[in-house]
Amino acid sequence: MKLCTLTRTISSIIQPALSFRPNPGRPISFAAVSPTPQTPLYLRPAVFHDSLTELKKWHKWAKGLASSVGSAFLELDNGPDSTLLHRELDWLIQDAFQHRSDLNPDESLDDAGVVSLRVSLDDLYELWKQRIEGRRPFQYVVGCEHWRDLILSVEEGVLIPRPETEIIVDLVEEAVKESRELGSGLWADLGTGSGALAIGIVRLLEDSGRVVATDLSDIAVAVASYNVQRYGLQDRVAVRRGSWYESLQGDEGKLAGLVSNPPYIPSADIDGLQAEVCNHEPRLALDGGGDGMSDLLHLSSGAAMMLKPGGFFAFETNGDTQSEFLQDYMDTEMKGSFCRLKIVSDFTGIKRFLTGYRAR
Amino acid sequence: MRSGGFKRLNQFLMAAAIKKDQSQCRQMLLFNQQTPYNYFTSAPAAQTVSETHQLSHNLIKIMEQKLSAIETRHAYLMSIVNQPDVLSENYTNANKELKKLRDSIDLINQLRAIHKDIDGLKLMIAESQDDRDMQEMASQDLGQASKEERRLQYLLLKSLLPKDDADERDCILEVRAGTGGQEASLFAMEVFKMYEKYSLKKGWRFEVMDLAESDLKGYKEASAAISGAGVFGKLKFESGIHRVQRVPVTEKSGRIHTSAVSVVILPQADQVDVQLRNEDLKIDTYRSGGSGGQHANTTNSAVRITHLPSGLTVAIQDERSQHQNKYKALKLLCSKLYEMERIRAHTSRSKLRARQIGSGDRSERIRTYNFPQGRVSDHRVGITSHSVDGVLQAENLDIFIDALLLQQEMDAITSFSSSD
Repeated sequence: MKLCTLTRTISSIIQPALSFRPNPGRPISFAAVSPTPQTPLYLRPAVFHDSLTELKKWHKWAKGLASSVGSAFLELDNGPDSTLLHRELDWLIQDAFQHRSDLNPDESLDDAGVVSLRVSLDDLYELWKQRIEGRRPFQYVVGCEHWRDLILSVEEGVLIPRPETEIIVDLVEEAVKESRELGSGLWADLGTGSGALAIGIVRLLEDSGRVVATDLSDIAVAVASYNVQRYGLQDRVAVRRGSWYESLQGDEGKLAGLVSNPPYIPSADIDGLQAEVCNHEPRLALDGGGDGMSDLLHLSSGAAMMLKPGGFFAFETNGDTQSEFLQDYMDTEMKGSFCRLKIVSDFTGIKRFLTGYRAR
Repeated sequence: MRSGGFKRLNQFLMAAAIKKDQSQCRQMLLFNQQTPYNYFTSAPAAQTVSETHQLSHNLIKIMEQKLSAIETRHAYLMSIVNQPDVLSENYTNANKELKKLRDSIDLINQLRAIHKDIDGLKLMIAESQDDRDMQEMASQDLGQASKEERRLQYLLLKSLLPKDDADERDCILEVRAGTGGQEASLFAMEVFKMYEKYSLKKGWRFEVMDLAESDLKGYKEASAAISGAGVFGKLKFESGIHRVQRVPVTEKSGRIHTSAVSVVILPQADQVDVQLRNEDLKIDTYRSGGSGGQHANTTNSAVRITHLPSGLTVAIQDERSQHQNKYKALKLLCSKLYEMERIRAHTSRSKLRARQIGSGDRSERIRTYNFPQGRVSDHRVGITSHSVDGVLQAENLDIFIDALLLQQEMDAITSFSSSD
């Protein structure tokens, strides 16, 4: 029996009991009938209190649980090892405690002292159990992901932005530096998820530059809107629900730039991935069809129509074969539409990105 | 109150400096340990010092030569700038240099003016032998003018001393546990926290960059970025090996152990300072073993950067995003490259030895903290503080730092006098 299926059974038992709604503490400001995004732990008010003795007990238990994993997950499906889990535990404390230093051994707070928390002690136990026993992604546990110089709210239903995708922001920066005219145009982030790329690139544009961020998922639209608002960018980033270019009807030939991290994993491969991904992250954001390329090809075909002459695009792929295939496809099947097609590697040497310009 | 004692102390120090009698200096510093004070490096002190003492004739003669050279250069640059048909490139370059000389020329002009006043007053005194009142007034004025002359001479001397441009910069602190296992790691943590407390005292910003903890909650390695005015100039002499002698917490038999901790202070620099090119960098990140990207969910965004031309490698892992790890790694790399270049440039160009600019042998044992005997000794200036806790709580650290800065200045004066 595939381990993924096994752990999925276990987590489906654990999960329903664990989804909790926090004290809101955040004004609801959009009128749409969309799901309400959850507040990341670190933004919640520290209205829970418990004794240092209890917290130390919890800390000891949590550390023990992390140590017990060893390299089991790593060997199983390339999951995290104990070292990583210990670091994540530190970050959980950073986000959940009002003063992370309360747990330091040399702090003057005595054992009867009171510790202020952003979640209840019970929730602390639940959250760490979810992480270790349920393999729930750390980012969902704390409700946020640090990406580039941003902190983005994420939750189940939204793909957790990957470190590799950070590079797309650098690629856009180069393009905009080279051609200021691109910086004052309309850009699109297709399949925006948490809104990471949209927020990342809008700050590189001129004041008149705008970004449209689209996604098929209701939750993604809600979370992306929430993140855009948190960064005060709602005047420059519009979040729309829709499939790929559907929400951009009327903008044909006008886009200055296109970025996307579309689903690119072949359907059959998904169940073999590490549990954090296949059991918890949205399939909608991962499944790229039989060969993983169906969305990439769709995007490439439409790019010629959507981009204005000289417009720039950057797509993320699953690596060597996909980016090379795409480059070939755009060169031959769509001859004359694009120029300066370039494959850019990520920091591990995988040829992850395809960039190019709409021919003039 | 304090000023009487300080005046005396400062007089003695100034005289000692001129006589280049350093051991006497140290004696006085030892005697007056409990109060840190900037001897040469602040204006009020300069007032006190120059009021009562004069720079030696030798020093003044050498200074005069250099000042004339500056005046000549200034005149030449002015002539270029005032040419009616000057080339724009020559004009810009001349102007740039003029800007640098402006402060010195101001002081020199003031000095020349004072000399004229003094000459005039001396003449007046000589010519008014039979007018008591006139003589007295003129003498008083002469006294004031002489005081002013000494003040200006002192300021000019300071401006002529070889300076380390890096002094104004922020710095990066690296603390590493050396020999001594767990005990060294514990001491490394205490040293790291000492600098944190010192930074707090000084109103500097202390930002931890990386921490590698040992099993007993000590630090195997720790680094921080310290920002504020003139941070590097003050902390640069902390680089070296700090030794601790005490009974470790882990020791059951009560024996005293000696452990070592290495401290490195680097000036902060950015990519422009060191002319860093992206082509020269190799950036490695944690590879999840699979295809990465959407295939993996990892919180490990450690980054290692290798600078290919020099072979320098820097790795940062504790930030929560890869971007932040990369940013910190680059910052650290630039600092290390800048420091390498700074040492190289200084030792080849200036008469100041590497030790004098605080970039000496990193493995040099500079300070010993002896707990049983309750003292901390700095081996370079031969000064001892009798409160180990006072030093580690950063209350008495200034004693060492001020003494080291004083020594730097004295060395600078020495090399200045012996240069041509």
